[in-house]
Amino acid sequence: MIPIVIDGIVQGLQLSLLAVGITLIYGLGGVLNLAHGQFAVVGGIVAALLIGQGMHVVAACVLGVLAAGVFGLIVDRSLLLAAYRYKGEERLLLGLVLTLGLSFVVDGYLNYRYPETALTVRLPHPSITVAGITIRTASVATSALAALAFILLAIFLKGTLVGKAVRSIIQNETGAELCGINATRTRTLIVGLSAVLAGLGGIAQGLFSSLGTEMGVELTIFALIVAVVGGVRSVSGTLAAGILLGVVNAVASFYIGTYLTLIILLAAAMLTILVRPSGMLAYWT
Amino acid sequence: MLREVSLEVRGGEAVGVIGPNGSGKTTLFKAIAGMLRPKAGRILYDGARLDGLHTSDVARRGIVYIPAERELFPQMTVLENLELGAYVNPRDRDGLFEFVFGLFPRLAERKGQRAETLSGGEQQMLAIARGVMARPKVLLLDEPSTGLAPLLVAEMYRQLARLREEGLTILLAEQQVPLALSFCERAYVLENGWIKLSGASRDLLGDPGIKRAYLGVA
Repeated sequence: MIPIVIDGIVQGLQLSLLAVGITLIYGLGGVLNLAHGQFAVVGGIVAALLIGQGMHVVAACVLGVLAAGVFGLIVDRSLLLAAYRYKGEERLLLGLVLTLGLSFVVDGYLNYRYPETALTVRLPHPSITVAGITIRTASVATSALAALAFILLAIFLKGTLVGKAVRSIIQNETGAELCGINATRTRTLIVGLSAVLAGLGGIAQGLFSSLGTEMGVELTIFALIVAVVGGVRSVSGTLAAGILLGVVNAVASFYIGTYLTLIILLAAAMLTILVRPSGMLAYWT
Repeated sequence: MLREVSLEVRGGEAVGVIGPNGSGKTTLFKAIAGMLRPKAGRILYDGARLDGLHTSDVARRGIVYIPAERELFPQMTVLENLELGAYVNPRDRDGLFEFVFGLFPRLAERKGQRAETLSGGEQQMLAIARGVMARPKVLLLDEPSTGLAPLLVAEMYRQLARLREEGLTILLAEQQVPLALSFCERAYVLENGWIKLSGASRDLLGDPGIKRAYLGVA
């Protein structure tokens, strides 16, 4: 049971890396990014291709993460511009259609061009044993990576002026503009940052098991469920939701089966919307 | 809706805009602040055009709008709200903290509290203080006395007078017309989007039409 729970926590952390980007982009830009899983896939596949060219694994992974970030910046400055011209519901709906289309294009291109490519990162020591429990080194590495990313994100959002500006836009965009904060530029920065975090999630997937070109949709769906349960406006809520749903996912997959697990996760999202529409930790952000 | 509004504020002046609800005061302020784009006409500051600029760029030029809705950051502390007020000049922040806490000592007592937990009067003080943190050259104040107890209103205007001594230029919309006219040396009377009347506050106070419409004297 304990190894399963640990697996769940690790997977949850990895999903949170993606979900937090969905949360930030939604909070700042009013767009639910349905191509977020593809950001992760782009990062992972770029890393895999570079490794295939003979590049050192670490360097390839760093470049893969950066490539995801650049991809995010380009998407924000091109495709999403069309959505940003509108406000509120129109923006949300146009954003849904645009990002859904983007996910098809990315999936189609990668599956056509690199059908055999997948990212699999294997660490030198496959497992370690602590207090009688054997843990995969990949789990430790993934958790450390995710934890570090979240700590840095928290420092950025709570401790720096730009991070506070990001939070201020989420809370009140008009107020932020009146303080001289350029919401458009900040939003571009955040889409890029979210894509970097997604790229990191893609690398984590490669560490944990394997990341293929076709995994974008699946990652988006899981990240979306986590973001909804976390409240789509709260970073700490997203992290908590990721860990909780990761554990639920791992335990339920083991004892009940994968298909029913997805239904259980969706039920959790529905329940959150009914009981706490602003998310598990809505009040603590 | 504004039509053929022509209005001028000189450096260091306090100018009032008075008029009933829906006369266009807020529309005028939002146009200056870059939140609404005029269909025709120009808005000039120091000879350079403001119309067409983004709201954040207008703020960066030192023209700070404090709307009646306050537009605070509800889940952030008083201190964080003020920090963001100084977003355009973070280096002067510490001195400015001292200055605004001197203006509104109540905010210093509440600096760790979230803005949403403040009373209406405290929120209004915070909105003004956040605007002052930007070290503005021009302050656009929209109905600052709304929802405040009379004692607080008097206190707030005393602090605004202190800001004027620092050389701040103020454009003020105020429903309490006697208050506006006693604070500003000049005023414009806005009605249905037109400027109906303008002049020195002293003259407007003596104007029979103003008396009848706004001062409640026959």
